[in-house]
Amino acid sequence: MKLINKTILNYLFISIPLMIVAGIVSYFLIKNELRDGMDETLDRERLNVEKLIESLKEPANTYLGYDSLSYIKVMDKNFEMKDTYSDTGIYITKKKKRELRNYRTLKCTYTFNNANYLITLSRPTIEEEELMDSLFSAFCIIITFFVFSFFIVSWLLSKRLWRPFYNTLSKLGKYDIKNHATTNFQMEKTTEFNQLNIELNKMTDKIHNDFIQQKEFTENASHEMQTPLAVVRANLSILMQSPNLQEPEMNSLEAIENTIKKLTSLNKTLILLAKIENNQYHESAEVNFKEKLESSLDLFSDLIQAKNIKTEIQLDPNVSVKMNPSLADILINNLMQNAIRHNSEGGNIRIALNSKSFTVSNGGEPLSITEKDLFVRFKKNDDSKDSLGLGLSIVKSIVNLYDMEIRYVYSDRYHNFVIYF
Amino acid sequence: MKILLIEDEPELRKSIKQYLHQEGYLVESAADFIIAQEKTSLYEYDCILVDITLPKGSGLDIVKQLKEASSKAGIIIISAKNSSDDKIIGLDLGADDYLAKPFNLAELNSRIKALFRRRNFNGNKIIVVNEITIVPEERAVKVNGEIVTLTQKEYDLLLFFVSNKNRVLSKNAIAEHLWGDDSDQMDSHDFIYVHLRNLRKKLTEMGCTDYVQTIYGIGYNFKVN
Repeated sequence: MKLINKTILNYLFISIPLMIVAGIVSYFLIKNELRDGMDETLDRERLNVEKLIESLKEPANTYLGYDSLSYIKVMDKNFEMKDTYSDTGIYITKKKKRELRNYRTLKCTYTFNNANYLITLSRPTIEEEELMDSLFSAFCIIITFFVFSFFIVSWLLSKRLWRPFYNTLSKLGKYDIKNHATTNFQMEKTTEFNQLNIELNKMTDKIHNDFIQQKEFTENASHEMQTPLAVVRANLSILMQSPNLQEPEMNSLEAIENTIKKLTSLNKTLILLAKIENNQYHESAEVNFKEKLESSLDLFSDLIQAKNIKTEIQLDPNVSVKMNPSLADILINNLMQNAIRHNSEGGNIRIALNSKSFTVSNGGEPLSITEKDLFVRFKKNDDSKDSLGLGLSIVKSIVNLYDMEIRYVYSDRYHNFVIYF
Repeated sequence: MKILLIEDEPELRKSIKQYLHQEGYLVESAADFIIAQEKTSLYEYDCILVDITLPKGSGLDIVKQLKEASSKAGIIIISAKNSSDDKIIGLDLGADDYLAKPFNLAELNSRIKALFRRRNFNGNKIIVVNEITIVPEERAVKVNGEIVTLTQKEYDLLLFFVSNKNRVLSKNAIAEHLWGDDSDQMDSHDFIYVHLRNLRKKLTEMGCTDYVQTIYGIGYNFKVN
């Protein structure tokens, strides 16, 4: 959820109960105020009634006003009562409809000329109720209006205030370390965002520099290793020529040579990977994949025959891809080698090529590593001790270089590698 | 045959020198660009092996200078930079061959021999080893005057053996010679055995002595007295 919306929502969650509380409190405040007003009116009338009593010639029960709710009643001499204000609801029938009318009633006593009177004064509260209703709804409308206009204003304002942040965020999302130069987090007027952009610039610069250094390091280190390897190999060749070698020494020599060979090809592969990733294969041409595949099949024919592997090949002759020809060779050969190496005696290889995709499939047991690790350097399946674990990383690098896509699917006891052009 | 080896790594210089010396070549060496320049301007060589990255200069400049001086020497670049760019530049400048480090000495030896054959040193283009005659230009092999039909790999294998006769050749060296860079991509040792078995069979059927000795654990030796 967006920060703006989240803030607004939080405000809402807090302000709704507050509004309700404010509403209730103000309702009672207004009600009390009105009631006090009513009571004052009743008090004033009481004075009038008292004057009326004083003007009476002799004590008598008297109705006051139009209705039967206000009256004077002569009471016993011992009758005592405190002044009481109360609310009374009375049903009246008006046009055959029963309606509840609220009245405010004052009951009090008054003694005049040794006569004890009970004064009961009632006034309908309908006007006050109506006033109350309109006051309260006006109040509610005003509060609601204020709250919502506050939300709208703050939403618009936040949107404007946070714009630099969203700009930075989208730049960060698009950041590609290989195209570092194209990303620059600009100066902003808001201190915090400006600070953020300055720090981001610093950070990406540092990451980029480290990245460049590391890339160069891999390539330089591998190159520097070539000469010592050459020295070892050359001396090994000379050592092999000595006439008096016994079996144990020969075994050692073979072990050393095989190791050196492995180290050499590891080194070469790392250089290759570094070069692909450093984009050093500039020249590209329309490469006919069918021709490349056929020469690859030719190269591996010994291996395919030796393992007695059956091949099912479906090639569209007119598929050409714009890429570096040597990288195309490397791509195809690595996939082929992978399919042969991880195949069983008498197994199957299926190769399919059409204008959209290129698929190499080989039969075999499911992987012991995850699909994700398949393309990671030096990760390899348990059974492949001879492999360096770099072949598929090379494939992945090449595929990435040309914005193609590679997918691995295991189905029907077949490992399928599909490249989408 | 006089060879100049331009290489700054002393250990490598020593072993290349020793290996080529055993082949009967006269090998001189230069450790940096200045010495190399001096030697190439003062003396004539049949073959110059030149490293690209040298102290005080680039091996490619030496190739350029040699070509400008219309030197007759064959030039093989040996470089730690296995980049196709360097290779193309070197060959464009007029170098005859390019070998990436780390290489096998037997491979270097066979490249030098191939270079000499192409340039027709010694006045002949035919290799004769007892009853075996090889005509590289025609890729033809004869035993006692009769043509033996060999596959590409068998022919390459025989030529490699003959170029390095009386030398122990490791299986790795042979694999690299036959399959080049792609030898990494296959478990090639078994295939050497298959091709070698076929080659031996074809040669001995024509009455040729089996010169190939198996050296336990390491590889093979084409032994000719």
